[in-house]
Amino acid sequence: MTLKVTCPHCGPRYTTEFWFGGELIPHAASATPGADALRLDFDRVWLKTNVAGVQGERWFHHAGCRRWLVVDRDTRTNEFHDHD
Amino acid sequence: MTTTDRGSANASFEFEGRTIPSAAGDTIASALFRAGVRTFSRSFKYHRRRGLYCLTGDCPNCLMTVDGEPAVRTCVTPAAGVRRVARGAGWPSADRDFLSILWRLRWLMPVGFYYKSMIRPRWVFPIAERVIRRIAGLGPVPREPSHATKERLNHHPDVVVIGGGIAGLSAALAAAEGGERVMLVDEGTISERNAPGALRDRITALRDALSRQASASILERATAVGIFEGPLVPVVDDDFLHLVHPARIVVATGAVERHAVFPGNDLPGVWLGRGAARLAGVHGLTPGKTIVVATNTPEGLLHLDVLHRNARREGGAAIVAAVVPAALASRVPAGIDVIADGTIVEASGSGALRSVVVEAAGRRRTVRCDTLVLSLGLEPRDGLLRQAELEPVVGAGDVVRPGCSADEAEESGRRTADVGAAPEAADDDVTAPRLGSREGFLCLCEDVAVKEFEHAWDEGYRSTELLKRYSTVTMGACQGALCHAHLKAFVGQRSPGSWTGKPTTARPPARTIRLEDLAAGARVPLEHHTSLHDRHVARGALMDWAGTWKRPSNYGDVEQEYWAVRRNVSVMDVSTLGKYRVAGPDATALLEHIYPCHVGDLKPWRSRYTLLLNEAGYLFDDGMVCRLGDGSYYVTFTSSGGDGAESWLREWTDERGLKVHIANVTASRGAINVAGPKARELLSRVSGDAVDARAIPYGGLREMVVDGVPCLVIRVGFVGELSYELHHPSRQSESLWDALLDAGRPLDIRPHGLDALKLLRLEKGHILVGQDTDFDTTPSKLGLDFAVKMDKPDFVGRTALQRIALLPRERSLLPMTFAGQRAPEEGAQLFVGGVHVGNITSSRFSPSLGCGVALGWVRHPVGAPPSRITARDTAGDSEGTVTKGPFYDPKGERLRA
Repeated sequence: MTLKVTCPHCGPRYTTEFWFGGELIPHAASATPGADALRLDFDRVWLKTNVAGVQGERWFHHAGCRRWLVVDRDTRTNEFHDHD
Repeated sequence: MTTTDRGSANASFEFEGRTIPSAAGDTIASALFRAGVRTFSRSFKYHRRRGLYCLTGDCPNCLMTVDGEPAVRTCVTPAAGVRRVARGAGWPSADRDFLSILWRLRWLMPVGFYYKSMIRPRWVFPIAERVIRRIAGLGPVPREPSHATKERLNHHPDVVVIGGGIAGLSAALAAAEGGERVMLVDEGTISERNAPGALRDRITALRDALSRQASASILERATAVGIFEGPLVPVVDDDFLHLVHPARIVVATGAVERHAVFPGNDLPGVWLGRGAARLAGVHGLTPGKTIVVATNTPEGLLHLDVLHRNARREGGAAIVAAVVPAALASRVPAGIDVIADGTIVEASGSGALRSVVVEAAGRRRTVRCDTLVLSLGLEPRDGLLRQAELEPVVGAGDVVRPGCSADEAEESGRRTADVGAAPEAADDDVTAPRLGSREGFLCLCEDVAVKEFEHAWDEGYRSTELLKRYSTVTMGACQGALCHAHLKAFVGQRSPGSWTGKPTTARPPARTIRLEDLAAGARVPLEHHTSLHDRHVARGALMDWAGTWKRPSNYGDVEQEYWAVRRNVSVMDVSTLGKYRVAGPDATALLEHIYPCHVGDLKPWRSRYTLLLNEAGYLFDDGMVCRLGDGSYYVTFTSSGGDGAESWLREWTDERGLKVHIANVTASRGAINVAGPKARELLSRVSGDAVDARAIPYGGLREMVVDGVPCLVIRVGFVGELSYELHHPSRQSESLWDALLDAGRPLDIRPHGLDALKLLRLEKGHILVGQDTDFDTTPSKLGLDFAVKMDKPDFVGRTALQRIALLPRERSLLPMTFAGQRAPEEGAQLFVGGVHVGNITSSRFSPSLGCGVALGWVRHPVGAPPSRITARDTAGDSEGTVTKGPFYDPKGERLRA
């Protein structure tokens, strides 16, 4: 399987040039007051949403500009779109 | 490439002790047939004799071992250049095979018998498996390593067309004329596929027209093995694995003649029409002396004509009967006995065809013959077409409209260039094949008959997918080319209109490919060299892989290298370390966040050992963080982690929106570790700068000029002696290395490699990330809590460590010693009181301590690690003692000197 990702710096490139960084989950721990911080952290680290549909993802262009990019991918069709 | 280029008239190859001459244009199979060979293989399960059948590379009958490679389709492999050919299965030989007794024992082996009969007793299965593997199969797998040096090529055409028949050539030509870059791929040699005649001339003309197009390329004798997402079409030929990345794909793989099912349908002498016509028309060979042709298509009449003319020309052969529909009877050449509206119901003979039984108008008639040619309609060769789900793929020609005329195929191909037009839908009007008899072989690859389908159906396997898996039909060498339609037809008859009769999912590879093809390009791996590589090689170092790097394991004498570090002075090339400059207003904030140690309180010209934790609190790398005089940082990572460190640094920079400059200087900076009690003395000989403990204490660093090379010198302690890492511009590595070795000669200097390093660091109890750690290793399991500052408000992994701290810790990496001259092997299993508790990850005999030293994972009661432990390896058990702290110089006086 070789999918094409459009890198904003380098143009359309095959995914073999990238490292997959997983689905886009905000890193910052939730600031909900009174929430169980340990529980939130566990959910964030271990429970992925694994959607059948469009999800935000991070890809690292290791064989190109060596920058992270954020894109939307439809997990059913592997179509890539710009992340809003 | 033309026929005469590839073969000369006096070529030959060896076949099971015989020398077989081959003529120009011969395939292996045609040369063997000319030499009188009729048994081309033994069948997979029952060891039945099999002869040539399709001659189009679709059936399993002609698979042989060619120059050591098993399961080669000899009917499509040119004889030129081949040295040795043998039939794979059969004991003692394929001609006289005692294992054909299996046919008589077939009642013992009903469909699915593996799944039912080898359950108890359990010890039978490993033995039975070995026996069955020897009996079944397609020939021995070569034991020698392959010397293939196949490489990968990437292509980026606009269109790839698979199949070089009329439809495929027309599709490619139309695309090229429309300005698209086209690549056409064909399994064979396009202009040689058909017998000389109008069709061949038409194909050759199209091919010539295509080759004149500048934007078209033609790849012959190349097999498209699948359609992957992307889309990606891997194409295999003799020299390359072509990775074709087209924008759109045209599949014009044509059709296969329909396999007919009746008792004896697998006897040598039973042919598909195209195969027999090709043998006669292309190779000038007559398939037999007494030929019966059964056909119901206009194409079959053409084959009849080719065979008829060939028989008359060669003499001694004749078509004795033509079984055709009454409507076609008038088109059979005069003098041939016509059996109108007949059906072949049986073929018989012992090892070769002797007669066929034809049923016509309710009467059965036996016709003596040695050859039966079947041309009973076409099944689309649609394995590739069915693989495509979301990819931009269209079919053209026979693959969507089996049996279309040449004009229709050309029109169908040209249509594909009109990208806006609706793709041609597969012709659903094709009648299902007859499943005439329960006894005939429906699947030639795996010896499956209709009655075995009935058997499986009765056991509840009531869909194409289930029948396929239970009976292994469509899973053999032909990948369903002959039998997939029959599988569908069988289910369709039992449960008409149901989803259970849907086509099975087609997956790559559509044709058999070699492991060698999958490994294409793997012989040229990414290989990193440090700038001192040539120096190591010149010294006779044993170079070995360390990740993507080639590094010296040793220079011939590990023990001498070890003692050089412990007693005198030594140098090691550590240029492979990941090295980064980190600067900018938020540099401290970034490092404070990604490291579990304190960074902000680090004074200029001071360094600190640090772990790297992921968000799950697990260790994935370690290294040093050094503060430079201007407040910026120089950070190092391990050799294997250095590449990924960049993504880690940038990820957190982006995530937190920090203003940081990150420069990866792994390649531009070399590093040499100078270690040993005489290291300071050596440095003072090559540098005018002060090197005493005040100028550069343990944990300190400074800029120095060493023999004219500007260096960042970092006091480190990995090997447990006084040592300095000299980070310098990598283009000056060689002169620095030479200067150190020259100046060190009076001090008995010698360089050390990874073997000595692993022993030196183990004596200090220092871990190697990846060797001593797992994916779920927390610092506290390693006894490295000192390197984690939980009083910091936040760092990556902190919350996870808080969570993990709530759980009891029942596993630790413990240091242990073993008395005697031998240390347990790495990987040795550990026991306490006879109970398995873990394994050893690092182990060496320590020359300084005179005993074995090791690190190992031990499961133990919370807070109570064992004091005695037993290690078990291939040499037996050895008793060890769990200790504390470093084995060597526990107080660290030597490295702080």
